[in-house]
Amino acid sequence: MDLLESLRMAWRTIRGHRLRSTLTTLGVVIGIGAVITFVTLGASLQGAIVSDVAAGSSNDVAGGSPEMTVVSQLQSAAGGPGEGGGGPAVFTEHDIRQLQQTEGVETVVPAGTVSLSGVTYSGQSIAKSTMTATTPAYFSQTGAGNFSAGGSFSLGEREVVLNGAAASIFDQNVSVGDSITVTRSSGTTINATVAGILGGNSGSSGEFGSSDDSPPPEIYGPTDPFHETRLVSPATGENQRVYSQLTVVAVDHDQVDQVATRVTDYFTADSDAQGLLSSSYEVSVQTVDASVKQMQSLVNTFTSFVTGIAVISLIVGAIGIANIMLVSVTERTREIGIMKAVGFQNRDILQLFLVEAVILGLFGSVFGIFLGVLAGYGATMFLTLPFVFPIEWAGIAVAVGVLVGVIAGLYPAWNGARIDPIEALRHA
Amino acid sequence: MSVNERTNQTAVAVQDARKTYQVGEPVHALDGVSLALKRGSYTAVMGPSGSGKSTLMNLIGCLDTPTEGRVIAHGKDVTQLSSRERTRLRGSEIGFVFQTFNLMPRLTAQENIVQPMVAQSVSRSERDERAKQLLERVGLGDRADHRPNELSGGQRQRVSIARALANDPALILADEPTGNLDSETGASIMELFSELHEAGNTILMVTHERDIAEHADTIIHLRDGVIEREETVDAPVRPTVGGDP
Repeated sequence: MDLLESLRMAWRTIRGHRLRSTLTTLGVVIGIGAVITFVTLGASLQGAIVSDVAAGSSNDVAGGSPEMTVVSQLQSAAGGPGEGGGGPAVFTEHDIRQLQQTEGVETVVPAGTVSLSGVTYSGQSIAKSTMTATTPAYFSQTGAGNFSAGGSFSLGEREVVLNGAAASIFDQNVSVGDSITVTRSSGTTINATVAGILGGNSGSSGEFGSSDDSPPPEIYGPTDPFHETRLVSPATGENQRVYSQLTVVAVDHDQVDQVATRVTDYFTADSDAQGLLSSSYEVSVQTVDASVKQMQSLVNTFTSFVTGIAVISLIVGAIGIANIMLVSVTERTREIGIMKAVGFQNRDILQLFLVEAVILGLFGSVFGIFLGVLAGYGATMFLTLPFVFPIEWAGIAVAVGVLVGVIAGLYPAWNGARIDPIEALRHA
Repeated sequence: MSVNERTNQTAVAVQDARKTYQVGEPVHALDGVSLALKRGSYTAVMGPSGSGKSTLMNLIGCLDTPTEGRVIAHGKDVTQLSSRERTRLRGSEIGFVFQTFNLMPRLTAQENIVQPMVAQSVSRSERDERAKQLLERVGLGDRADHRPNELSGGQRQRVSIARALANDPALILADEPTGNLDSETGASIMELFSELHEAGNTILMVTHERDIAEHADTIIHLRDGVIEREETVDAPVRPTVGGDP
């Protein structure tokens, strides 16, 4: 009997028991659906994390980034540098100068958080709690973004850079050359000229899809005059600006790990930061590569954990198919007897039942993929993540569905094929 | 194959066949049975229950093999064949007609008739063509797309006869073909068998009823696993065709 004929016959049986077939398939649908949902979610999450980390990097992550982030954080704190730095601002200008002279270091870009109470533009005030104080190198070296208009601010000037979201937050769009008023949390105001507007995100995040449908509005200003957090540098005795985060850019990517070691060595030795930090804090140096890897492994752990659970439900689904196939073989004992009497071979019967089980598995996986993509899409929308569906998983899911069908159908089909036609025809 | 070509050839022969079942004590269901069914012959097997009728049917129908002795079907020694070859031979050379019709409930009349041809990998166009002819032949040309539960008992048996004819078998094996039918419908089925006989088909029929058996040329009386006697019917009942050729 050719395969097409088995397909037709199996399909007829499945259609003949619509409810039963649907319920049987449900186990596989849920299993595959869960896998696809979480694989989609995992890939989307990973895509978002990678593009977020890469957003602060001038180089393509795939090619390796020469950057590392230096923050202070609580000792034994898990995870990478938190948003805006985990600990107090302790990196003095002395530290920056020292790092600048370290072998293999291209640039050191400081970043500090300035507390605000609001921003005013053409008479309209918007509440905004922070802005970032940094140097022009922040844009040129770390590639925080490309300017859609204008350029960087200059140190010592009352200038600011807005990202796209911040530029459009007011009723009237802000353009380069306009003047905005920044109100510090202390109440003092600074009138600043808009030097540049960042367009969207940096190019390196493009490959993961548009991660920033609605990025938070950001305002950047030069450390002078915006950054006013100062401490006495233990090394020089001067009152210096201190920053909560430094971005160290290595000369090239190949040296990033050695540079990271040197930077770490500097901070564990006699740095200002070491002197200023209380004993419960430590300096954390993490390269972009390392943090991307860390995030990825975190996401992978999560994904494989959930996939493990989903595999269990697939096994349950397979047992469901096997069970219903066994029932089906028993029910159709007489039909099998007739088929054998009219000349069907054992392997025809085997093929027939196997095809039936595979169709059930296949349908389960197809509906599962559909359900999973839908659920994954819903979840990513809910979490405002970029939707990434690893298409190869659709193929894997279909293959798994077929495999589940074969495994679940093999024993029942073999049982059916072995039926003795004489006994079967006597079967009521 | 024409009637003339078929005469004097043996369709199926059983030579000193014994079948023993081990149910505690060995039971001899058949204890040395020999018979030869000539091509174009019409034979009935009668006997009380337990006489070995079913066992003989199974042997002749290539569903089973004897413990001792031989079964020759279409010139092949069934006992020497593998299970696969035996199934193939059964599908192409034996057509079964059962008391309970044994049609596939979900398949239409035509799909049921096509089954033996599917098993023999006959092309679809060919088997659909043949199925239509056979439906006409048994008088159900307008019932091709009806399922068994939409057909009367007599119509179901006609479908099952058409199915038996699908691969133009050497032998039609009918097991109590009128057992589940009222006498009038049964008579019309016997009429159909007579027509098939006239057309040159070889028929072996198992029955309890003397008046049904008398449609055949020969009646074999079976008792306790042996042939008690072989009776030649002087004037076989020939419902419509009647008379000698």
